[in-house]
Amino acid sequence: MEYIASIFNYRIVLNSLDAFGAGIWTTLWISAVCLVLSLILGTLLAGMRMARPGILWRPAAAYIQFIRATPLLVQIYLVYYGLPRLVGGTSILTEAVSGVIALTLHTTPYMAEIIRAGIESVDKGQREAARALALRPFQRMRLVILPQAIANVTPALLGQTAVLIKDTSLLSIIAVFELMGAGLFVMYENVAPNEGLLTTAVCYLIIYAGMLVVSTRVQSRLKGGIYRPV
Amino acid sequence: MFQEELQVIQSVAPFLLLGLWETFKISIIGLVAGSLIGGLFGTLRSLRLAGVTGGIGLYIHVFRGSPFLVQLYVFYYVFPQFGIPLLEFDSFTAAVVTLSLYTGSYVTEIVNSSILALPRGQEQAARSLGMSKLESLWHVVLPQALRMTIPPMSGVYVIIIKSTAILSVVGLTELARQGEISIHRFPGDVLLIYACVALLYFVYCYPVLRFTDWAEKRLGGVKVSLD
Repeated sequence: MEYIASIFNYRIVLNSLDAFGAGIWTTLWISAVCLVLSLILGTLLAGMRMARPGILWRPAAAYIQFIRATPLLVQIYLVYYGLPRLVGGTSILTEAVSGVIALTLHTTPYMAEIIRAGIESVDKGQREAARALALRPFQRMRLVILPQAIANVTPALLGQTAVLIKDTSLLSIIAVFELMGAGLFVMYENVAPNEGLLTTAVCYLIIYAGMLVVSTRVQSRLKGGIYRPV
Repeated sequence: MFQEELQVIQSVAPFLLLGLWETFKISIIGLVAGSLIGGLFGTLRSLRLAGVTGGIGLYIHVFRGSPFLVQLYVFYYVFPQFGIPLLEFDSFTAAVVTLSLYTGSYVTEIVNSSILALPRGQEQAARSLGMSKLESLWHVVLPQALRMTIPPMSGVYVIIIKSTAILSVVGLTELARQGEISIHRFPGDVLLIYACVALLYFVYCYPVLRFTDWAEKRLGGVKVSLD
């Protein structure tokens, strides 16, 4: 017991509940904002990627490959240090806004690729039937194809959301006060790495467990209630 | 017109290339060590032994459920505090151990899924030929499962390369860190230098990415969600 108390002093955690609460809140809202933005932009990007004219799909493909082949950390630095210079102004963006922009730019291509796979998974007959009903191209997409496509790839989208939540931890490097930032703050404030970092790890695992539960429920629903996780 | 930029690139290039070399080395270490861990654990998990399966499942969930950055900090700052000499890592050891275990969690899942994806008849046929359980695993199941692991494994390779950038936070002088150091020398050229860093990562990752896409089409393989 004494050994455990010497490596993990729970009083420090109790004293820093405010910091952890603020951190968890920031992690969750940044994830939520990025999720919504990247789903919308990802759908548009998937449309661009699947378009016929080269002027549409080539830039989309180049963007997707660039994001997939470079580390998120470098992308965050590019947005945080580079973007203000590119538009000429000094830093008008707060860290959190830079973080949201960087994470959205990072997540959008992954979402786009998943949505594209979903659209391609919809049976050809659906498209033909929608055509036979005289729906215009946009209506075909919105009313017939996209709903089925999204349903097909919901598990993958949820998986990517879990990745997004984990990726927010990197924003602590540009001083966004999210969960990881809170953990580091508690560690430096109290000279207590164990209490700060292990608590952070446990918080992330709890969020992950929540995502697992949601994912299992959704998959079971999509498969008519017979899904059993492996 | 671009005289100045060229000069900056010329003077930081040697350092960035040195960083790329370091990134290359670490990612190969991570790939090899991670494959060994994953090959062992994945095979063990597929045997469905009591206790072992659950333990390995816990390992997978812990390493896939928390961010790599958190794992790295825990290995670097927390483990040395336990007073066990073996766990007193310096930054390089902490980085390599974390990266290997993190990679291993992916590989475990891949190897396990590949073995389970193989038709049961293969193992049953081998057993009916008089092979022991181990023999059938070694001579029949694993060689076929190995082929299926190639596409997801090259996906893991890309993940490893990108994860090594995070190792810069514990002071490993790989590519991202060399970029930061170069920026201290040329504070005015942040964008240019990070663009070069991004380009170098791209040069390393892109062939692997293309290989992954090609292998997925060519070899099929198991679908393992890499999240």
